[in-house]
Amino acid sequence: MRPSTLLSSFARWGRASLALGALALSSGCDLNFWRMDGHQSTIKVEGPVARSQLEVFYVTCWVTLVIFIFVGGVLAYATWKFRARTAAEERAVPPEQGHGNPLIELGLIGASVLALVIIAIPTLKGIAYTYDVPEERKADLYEVTATGYQWWFKFEYPSEQIAGAGPLTTGNELVIPVGRPVRINVRGADVIHSFWVPKLAGKVDMIPNRANFLWLEAEQPGYYWGQCAEYCGDSHAVMRFRVVALGPKDFNDWLSQQTLPARSVAAPKLAAANAPKAQFASLRTFKPNETGITDKFDTSPLEAWKAKQFPEKGENPALIAQGRALFTAKACVSCHQVRGHEGAGISGPNLTHIGARTTLAAGLLENNPEQLQRWIHNPGAVKPGNKMAKGYLDNNIKLTPDDEVALVAYLQSLK
Amino acid sequence: MDAILKSDLLVKDGAAPAKSSVFWRPTAQTGLVSWLTTVDHKKIGFLYGVFALFFFLVGGFEALLIRLQLMFPNGTVLTAQQYNTMFTMHGTTMIFLAVMPLSAAFFNFMMPLQIGARDVAFPRLNAFSLWTFVAGAIIINLGWFMQDGPPDGGWVGYAPLSSKTYAPDHSIDMWVMGLQLLGVASIAASLNFIVTIINLRAPGMTMMRLPVFTWMTLITAFLIVLSFPFITIALVELMMDRLFGTNFFEVSNGGMPILWQHLFWVFGHPEVYILILPAMGIVSEILPTFSRKPLFGYPIVVFSGASIGFLGFSVWSHHMFTTGMGTVATAAFSLATMAIAVPTGVKIFNWIGTLWGGHITMRTPMMFALGFVWMFMIGGFSGVMHSAAPADAQQQDSYFVIAHFHYVLIGGSIFALLAGIHYWFPLMFGRKVSEFWGKLSFWVIFIGFNVTFFPMHFLGLNGMPRRTYTYDANLGWNTANFIATIGALTLGVGIFIYFAVMVYTYFKGEKVGKDVWDARTLEWSLPNPPPEYNYRVIPTVHARDAFWYIKQHKEEIAKEEAEHAKAEADHGGIHMPFQSIYPFIASVGLLIAAVGISVIDHDPSPGFWGKKIGTAMVGGVVMLAGIYFWALEGNEGYHLHLDDEDHESSDKHGAKH
Repeated sequence: MRPSTLLSSFARWGRASLALGALALSSGCDLNFWRMDGHQSTIKVEGPVARSQLEVFYVTCWVTLVIFIFVGGVLAYATWKFRARTAAEERAVPPEQGHGNPLIELGLIGASVLALVIIAIPTLKGIAYTYDVPEERKADLYEVTATGYQWWFKFEYPSEQIAGAGPLTTGNELVIPVGRPVRINVRGADVIHSFWVPKLAGKVDMIPNRANFLWLEAEQPGYYWGQCAEYCGDSHAVMRFRVVALGPKDFNDWLSQQTLPARSVAAPKLAAANAPKAQFASLRTFKPNETGITDKFDTSPLEAWKAKQFPEKGENPALIAQGRALFTAKACVSCHQVRGHEGAGISGPNLTHIGARTTLAAGLLENNPEQLQRWIHNPGAVKPGNKMAKGYLDNNIKLTPDDEVALVAYLQSLK
Repeated sequence: MDAILKSDLLVKDGAAPAKSSVFWRPTAQTGLVSWLTTVDHKKIGFLYGVFALFFFLVGGFEALLIRLQLMFPNGTVLTAQQYNTMFTMHGTTMIFLAVMPLSAAFFNFMMPLQIGARDVAFPRLNAFSLWTFVAGAIIINLGWFMQDGPPDGGWVGYAPLSSKTYAPDHSIDMWVMGLQLLGVASIAASLNFIVTIINLRAPGMTMMRLPVFTWMTLITAFLIVLSFPFITIALVELMMDRLFGTNFFEVSNGGMPILWQHLFWVFGHPEVYILILPAMGIVSEILPTFSRKPLFGYPIVVFSGASIGFLGFSVWSHHMFTTGMGTVATAAFSLATMAIAVPTGVKIFNWIGTLWGGHITMRTPMMFALGFVWMFMIGGFSGVMHSAAPADAQQQDSYFVIAHFHYVLIGGSIFALLAGIHYWFPLMFGRKVSEFWGKLSFWVIFIGFNVTFFPMHFLGLNGMPRRTYTYDANLGWNTANFIATIGALTLGVGIFIYFAVMVYTYFKGEKVGKDVWDARTLEWSLPNPPPEYNYRVIPTVHARDAFWYIKQHKEEIAKEEAEHAKAEADHGGIHMPFQSIYPFIASVGLLIAAVGISVIDHDPSPGFWGKKIGTAMVGGVVMLAGIYFWALEGNEGYHLHLDDEDHESSDKHGAKH
């Protein structure tokens, strides 16, 4: 169901007036914020649900703007016209002590009600449309489950059951098919979180003990930014995620790749003594809250995502084998699942195909060796209060730089 | 006449004050004891104001730290936890410890004067409200001085984030107990105001002649009495969960986190009107005064205030449009929310109608009041945008919401309260703030405020969620955040100028005579500062703008007053209540009990009960003792007799007249 053309024209006018109002601001300096074209823009939307919500917003914007111009104009005029210009005027005989005019009052009340009806109609339509997948499209529906944890997202695909392992499970990057309505069942595991991908749909809260859902649809392949929108504790600000929308073939390829067990890199047998040493430059010091995303990645994220699906160049099988051993030795296995390998825990994100994701630590850091090492080196510095940092403390886990490098190599190999 | 007779019934004529040493009736007029034992509504109002302004500055300082953290992407001024603490305390402080008590200051100081009364109905209860408010403020802020730190659960304290599992230290306990005490204080004060307005109006002051500020006081008081019980229940449940392992919100045992949201917002939305209605009342006083004509459509302004209060109870779930309420509930709350725009709009129309055809004199209070109308209009419009649930799904918990409610709370409430301070300053202290410095502070505040909060609309629409301590540079939020921080610093400078000028004026400002603004309501008929007994003779009200009428009918009024003065003297003179220390003691008891419940460690050993419950019980005993003695000392007062030059003589020390 496409919203009516009337709404679209509202949208155009609204957009034009917003732009015009801000144009004056933008002349001469870098005041580009009024364009509102960021990765999490609710204005530059790319799905029907977000568009329907935007159109309702434009209606409210347009109606209130007209009222503002009218009422504000009268207010400004009255203030100007009836001001006392001189001290003598201030002390003049007081004006007529009128107490009001019921007819004017009633007229204005009627006008206000009318303005609200103009807003109410598209609002009610929008509520019905955005609530659930329209009946006629239910046949095409794809369903996933999203669960919010402090501070990451788990995504499950109930239609992709894996023998002995339940539904396909990923973390922090939700891959969806393009052009199909996707219903996302949202759940809260600990405290309340909120699932929000502004370009695709407004948010719905992930509340413990409450079966909420939303629907969204991506109109074209794309890479979308999402973020938890309900305050959920220390690291709420860095609880982010991504949605990757793929065409039918890409999506099916991705599914069949993901349903495979973790990739194993054939490793030559090697003795502990000749274990390889660190490959990467030693870890530099990161400033607190330093960004973990590079501009290069940011300009073409979908291509970056596609590149991540293939094995890294120059893999070192020996190092990977060492990392895999450390993954057990350092107790990573007790929280993280690596299906087909040793990892069996379920309290942390599923890492079976971590190497094929573009981001780490819930959409916070770019998935590259440097940022991965930064993360496992000191998770608490990246994400204050998180359970991995606590796990290090509780289990007295210490990683040497060599350990970190081996673990990085192993995790990067999990395509 | 009624009021005189009623007050006369309360007093045993010529009773000796110091019956026994247990029922010591303090008489100090100066010094600490006089402040701790005062029952004078003007002194209590003044103290409310002083505490509120202190916390207003504290909350403002917290806001500046928040803005500094967000000035640049990936900021490091604060840590994540410090940031979360700051926005929690900023919200809690501004709502409960700044705007509400500042409104209460005006209620206390102005409302009895506006209705021609000599005090509130229950002067000692009024003192109890004040000191309990102070106790609550102390409890909420204790965390700054403790290892656990202040609360960091957001001002809404959503369960289960505020549960023992996810917030194991005492900071949330302090938040819970602090709010409970503030609830006690607010409800006690509101009951007092309701009784006062209903019963102590001067003869002729019918309900439809009440000044609009007094009307808004009455509506606000009803809102408080009806809405605070909801948060009290919610807080009790949370406290039970945290202390005694009950399962109201404990998910693993079937508790419902959504229950907290409903209880909180059934309180929380009327709370919004508790913050804005007094502001509307103040503006409805200032605009007529400086337009030199009566309020346009008084009955409709009053009625729309009442309908805002009434509808305010039917829209709480618009704070919860994203919690999955289903289409029917969402649609119903959406429409109900839009409906509130009608009475709100009506008020704006009437304010403009008041200006129309007036002689507008641009004094500082008028500037702030007009600033209020403009800013409140913008905040109201973004409120209409939120009422459209589909649009709200994108805006909820984003910076768009931050922009909206700061336009309503700063551009609305704070502007009006700052206007009110300017407006009534000459009456309260007999001095007038310099017009130059007043207007300068207005413009700096006005510009700083808009530069801070207007860009936040764009931030929110561009997807920036609130309550986030850091953001990356690649999301298009940098410029707007930078501008907002510059604006916040400007706003800070404006507020600093405003209060520096206030303090200067308090000590050295230009002295002015009675009725400096040529005002319309009864309080301006008093000399400034008003004497302890307010009215030498209880006035008789003949018109809605009572003082305006008095000024037009001087001779008739003088004659009438002389008659009433004689009648009143025959009844024993001006009746004044004795001061009392017991309300203060009862509040101290509450403070001790709250410390026991919230701060003493949870030690699982039996000693825990000894220490924790022991402290709470000591507090309870102190409180009960305070209330018991307060009841036993009786509600006696004394009589003042004024000679023709207003020189007092009293029978305070047992002198018979």
